[in-house]
Amino acid sequence: MKAVKHILVVDDAATVRMYHRTILEEAGYAVTEAANGVEALEKAAGAAFDLYLVDVNMPHMDGYAFLRALRGQDGPQVPAIMASTEAADSDCRRAFEAGANHYLVKPARPQQLARIVGLLLGERA
Amino acid sequence: MPLIKHIATASVPPALAPAPASAGQCDTALLDAPDAAVRRAAAHVLGDCPEAVPALLRALEQEVEQPVRSAVLAALGRTGSEEAAAGLASCLRSEDAWLRNAAIEVLRGLPAQVATVIAHLLVDWDRDVRILAVGILDTLRHDCVEEWLLQLIEADPDVNVCGAALDVLAEVATGAARAPVERLLERFRGEPYIAFAGELVLGRLARSR
Amino acid sequence: MTETAISDDDFQRFREYFYRRSGIQFEPSKRYFVDKRLVDRIHATGSTGFRDYFAMLRFQASGAEWQALVNEMTVNETYFMREDYQFECLVQSILPELAARKRRGEPLRIWVMPSSSGEEAYTIAIYLLERWPQLADFDVEIVSSDIDTRILAQAQAGLYSQRAVQQLPAAWLQKYFKREDGGWRICQMLRDAVAFTRVNLNDPREVDAYRGFDVVFCRNLLIYFDDASRRQAAESFFDVLRPGGFICLGHSESMSRISSLFRVRKFPQAIVYQKPLEGL
Repeated sequence: MKAVKHILVVDDAATVRMYHRTILEEAGYAVTEAANGVEALEKAAGAAFDLYLVDVNMPHMDGYAFLRALRGQDGPQVPAIMASTEAADSDCRRAFEAGANHYLVKPARPQQLARIVGLLLGERA
Repeated sequence: MPLIKHIATASVPPALAPAPASAGQCDTALLDAPDAAVRRAAAHVLGDCPEAVPALLRALEQEVEQPVRSAVLAALGRTGSEEAAAGLASCLRSEDAWLRNAAIEVLRGLPAQVATVIAHLLVDWDRDVRILAVGILDTLRHDCVEEWLLQLIEADPDVNVCGAALDVLAEVATGAARAPVERLLERFRGEPYIAFAGELVLGRLARSR
Repeated sequence: MTETAISDDDFQRFREYFYRRSGIQFEPSKRYFVDKRLVDRIHATGSTGFRDYFAMLRFQASGAEWQALVNEMTVNETYFMREDYQFECLVQSILPELAARKRRGEPLRIWVMPSSSGEEAYTIAIYLLERWPQLADFDVEIVSSDIDTRILAQAQAGLYSQRAVQQLPAAWLQKYFKREDGGWRICQMLRDAVAFTRVNLNDPREVDAYRGFDVVFCRNLLIYFDDASRRQAAESFFDVLRPGGFICLGHSESMSRISSLFRVRKFPQAIVYQKPLEGL
C-alpha cells in the first residue's frame, strides 16, 4: 500500500488553512497546519513532510524567510509551493529565488491546487 | 565548588540605568544617543510619556537597530494615545514587513484608539492596506468589529480582502451577518474560496448553541 | 440546569481562537478534555451557552476570562524533571556553545523563573552536576525568582512530596535527597547552590537589576500573560540576557508569536531562542 503523503500547510488565516486542508485531504493527503514561518520550522524539525504549501505574508517569519531557512538546511529538498495574493512577475521570481518549486496566486482553485501538488509529488517518485 | 550561589545580582552599568520618568520630565533627547543600548533604554521609559509620541514616531522612521525599534514600538503601545495609533496605522503602508506586522500587533491592543482610524484604513485605495486593517480586527476587543466587517463585505471589490473579512467573521459573526454574507456569496459566485469561507460562516451561525 | 454541550462547529471555532491566541493546538483527541473545561467556564461565568460565553471571551475588555480559561486548559503542576528534554539540550548543546565563548574565570549565569517551589532550578543544578562534564571548569550561578514570597520560602526549604520527585532517576533521588516525615528533603549543598529572589516580571524597574545572564528558563508562565505584557516580558528578557544568550520557553510556547527579537535555534534536543551575538 502506498504511504500517505504528508503536507505542511502554512498560513496565518485559519480559514485559508482549512480550505487548503479540505482540498488536500480530499485528494488523499495528510495535512498538518502552522500559522507562521517559525512554527512551520518547528513542525518541520519534528516530522518529515513531503511538501510545503506556504503563504508569503505571515507575521514573525514570512514565507520567503521560511523557505530560505529550509533550503539552508541539510537533507533532501522537499518541494514547496508558495502562495500569495500578488500576481506580479517580480513576486513570482522572488519566490523561486527563495527556493519555491511553484507559485500560486490566491485564492487557489481546488483542481489547480490538487493538480500542482500531484505534479510536484509525482516528480519525486 | 563549581555551583555557586550569587545573591547580589549584577548591577546595571550607569550608562544603561534609565532615569525614572516623572511627570513633565520626558526627555526624548536620548532617542538620538549614539549608543543603541542607551536609545533602547530611553525608548522603554518613554512608554509612560504620551508627550513623547511624536519623537517616538520619528525614531520609528529613522531607527535601524532592531532592538531599539522593538522598544520604540512597545513604548508607543503603552502610551495608549490616539496620536500613537494614527502613527502606527500609517506603518501599514511601509515596505518593511516586520514594521507592518509589529504595528498591527500593537494596534490590536488599542481598541478605543484604533476605532478613530480604522474606518479610513478599511476603504484605503491599496488592497494590501485593507487586508492588514482586517488583520487588526481579528483580535480587537471592540463591539463594532462585526459591523465594520459587514460594511466592508457589502462593497469591497477585492476577493482577498473579502476573504480576509470572512476569516474574521468565522469567529465573530452573529445573526446580523447572515444577509450580508449571502449577498457576498452571490456577488462572488464562481469563486470557490469565497464560497467555502462564506459557507463556513453561515454554517457556524446555523449550528452554534 | 439544562445540559450544555459543545457542538462540532463551536469546538472548531474555539479551537482556532485558542490556537491563534496561545499557539496551543488541541488535537481532536482532546475533545473531551476541552469540552469539559469549556462547560465549566460557561457555568462559572453564568453564560447562557457557548455562543454567549464565546462572545464574552472574545470581546471582554479586561481579558480576565481569557486568563481563567488558560489556567483551566493548561497543566499547572510542577515537578522534578518536567520537560527534561530542555535540560538535555542545556547540557549537550547550549552550555558547550556558551562555554566555548567564555573567558577564564567568567561565570555562567542561569535565571529560572518563575521559581515556583524550586523543582525546576534544583533539577537544573542536578543536571549540571550529573550530566555536564565541563562543570569542573566553570562557576555556574543559578538564580530563581518568583513574585510569590510564600512559594519562594517553600523553594528555599526544599521539601517535596513523592509525586514531585517521581520522575527522578532513583540514583539521583538517593544521592541528593533525604527521606523525612513530610517527604523528601533536598540536600543542603543544592539548597545552597540556588539563589531564590523575589521579582515581579511585569515591573521593568524590578527586572532592571537582572543583567548578564547566559540562559533564561521561563517555562509555562508567558502563556498566562496578555499580549502586551508578553511583549514587554520578551523585551525584558532581551535586556536580561548577554548577547548570544539563550531563552527556553514551555514546550507549547513559541517566542515567534511574542517577539522577533530572538533567533530560533534548532538543536537536536529542543528548539530554543537566542539573543543575537552581534549588536545589543
